[in-house]
Amino acid sequence: MVASLPRRPRVGLLYNPSTPALLAHAPELVEHVSAMPDRFWFDFGQGPEAGGGPRFRHLRPALAELAQALPGRSLAGHGLGLSLPSALPLDEGMLAAVSEVSEALGGFAWYSEHLSVFATPRARVPNAQAGLGLPLAYEQAQLELLLPKLRRLAQRLGCRVLLENPAQFTPVPDMDYSEPEFLNLLHQQGACGTLLDLHNLLVCARNGVADPQDYLDALDPEAVEEVHLAGGDEFGGFYMDSHASLTPPEVWDWAYDFLPRCRRLRAITLEYQESYFELLGLPALSRELERMHALAEHCAQPAAPELSHAG
Amino acid sequence: MLADFQQALADLVASPPLCNAVRADETVLAQRYCLSERERARLQAMARHRGMQAACSVYRMNRITPLMMNLRATLQALGERLPGLCSRYWAEHASGHTHFYLESARFCEWLAPRLAADDPAQAALVQDWAQVREALAVALSLEGDSDPR
Repeated sequence: MVASLPRRPRVGLLYNPSTPALLAHAPELVEHVSAMPDRFWFDFGQGPEAGGGPRFRHLRPALAELAQALPGRSLAGHGLGLSLPSALPLDEGMLAAVSEVSEALGGFAWYSEHLSVFATPRARVPNAQAGLGLPLAYEQAQLELLLPKLRRLAQRLGCRVLLENPAQFTPVPDMDYSEPEFLNLLHQQGACGTLLDLHNLLVCARNGVADPQDYLDALDPEAVEEVHLAGGDEFGGFYMDSHASLTPPEVWDWAYDFLPRCRRLRAITLEYQESYFELLGLPALSRELERMHALAEHCAQPAAPELSHAG
Repeated sequence: MLADFQQALADLVASPPLCNAVRADETVLAQRYCLSERERARLQAMARHRGMQAACSVYRMNRITPLMMNLRATLQALGERLPGLCSRYWAEHASGHTHFYLESARFCEWLAPRLAADDPAQAALVQDWAQVREALAVALSLEGDSDPR
C-alpha cells in the first residue's frame, strides 16, 4: 500500500527557546515543528577537549520541553552539523547523536540538512564550523561525494532526507550545473528531496548571486517537500539572512506562484531569530502563521503518493 | 582537489588579508593549496567578487557573537586591543565551536596567558570565565538519563 501525503502542507516553525511562548499564544496555528538536533547536545569533540568523557552530552530537559510541544504536531529534524557536502567522511558519531535525538522524540517524519559546507577538511576542532555556510561548486565530484552520504543518512534515520538551498554572497563561476539542476539531479537519483528556502533565494537575488525567476523555472516542483519562509535585513550594502523580520512581499509572491505546483510539499515552516522574538512580538508572529495557513490552503490539491526514504 | 578548494574558501572568508593577497597576486592560491586550474580560477573570481566582503563580515560576526554574549566585561576591558586579539585568536583557531559556552571557554583559556597579571582586563576575564564555567556546569548537571517522553 502506498501512503499519501496530506491534502495541503502543514504550517509550522523552526523550534527555538521562545517557541513554547508562541505555542501557548496560538497553539492551533502550529501544525508542524522543525527542530535542530544540534541544539540538544554539547559536542566536546574526540580530542583532549573532551577530557576523557563522552563526546556528546545530551540536554535532556531541553528535549523534554520540546517533547511536550509535539502531541498533535508533526516533527522534522533540521541539522547543519553533519556538513554533508564537506570533503570529509560522514561523521558517524554525530549521525548517531542525531539518531538518538530522533528516537528520544518518537522519530523524525523527515530530516533536512544544508547544501553548504560548514566543516572544513583541516579543521582543528571536531565538529568545527566554518563560521557560515560556504558555497559549493555544483559538479560531478560534489554529486558523487554527496550521494552515498545521503543514502547512509536516510538509512540510519529511517526517514526522507531533504537538502536546503543556501543563502550566498558570492557566485561560484564555471560550474557543471546550476543549483536547481543540482537539486533536481539529487532528487532524480532518489537521494533526497529539496527544502526550498525562499528567503535564501531572496538573499541570493538581492546580492546578485541568482535570478529568482530563472531559479524557480529550473527547479523541479516534484522535488520540493518543505519550504522555509523568513525575513532578513540590510547590513553594509548587502542583504542578510538574519531572520530578523517577517517574510517580505517578494517571498510571498514567489510562494503563491510556485508552491501550488509542488504536490509533495509537506510543510511551510517559518524561521525567526531567537534574539528578535521580543521585537517581532507574539501578535505579529501569529498573523504571520495565519498568512501561512492561507498560503497552505492555496496549495491544497489531491493527495500525491509519498516517496520512499530509501529512494 | 575538492578538499583543498573547500579549505581555501574557508580560509578566505576567515581572513580579509588573505583575500587581499589573492586579489593582488594570482600565484598565492597555487602556492598554498592543491587546486585544479578550474578551482583556482573559481576562487580567484570569488575573492574578487564584492560579496566576499559580506562573507568575511558574517564570519567575524558569527565568531564574535558567543564572546559578546558571554564575555561582555572582558571584551569591554580589552578596548582597542580587541580587534587585534580576535584576529590572532581566529587565525590560531580557525574553526569556532558551535556551542557558545565552549567557544567562550576556549577563548578565555587562550587569552589568559596573554594578559599581564596587572592588566585591567584580567579581573573581568576571571569573572566572565567563572560565569561561563558555571553556566556550562549547570547545563550539563541538568542532563539526565530519563526518557523525555
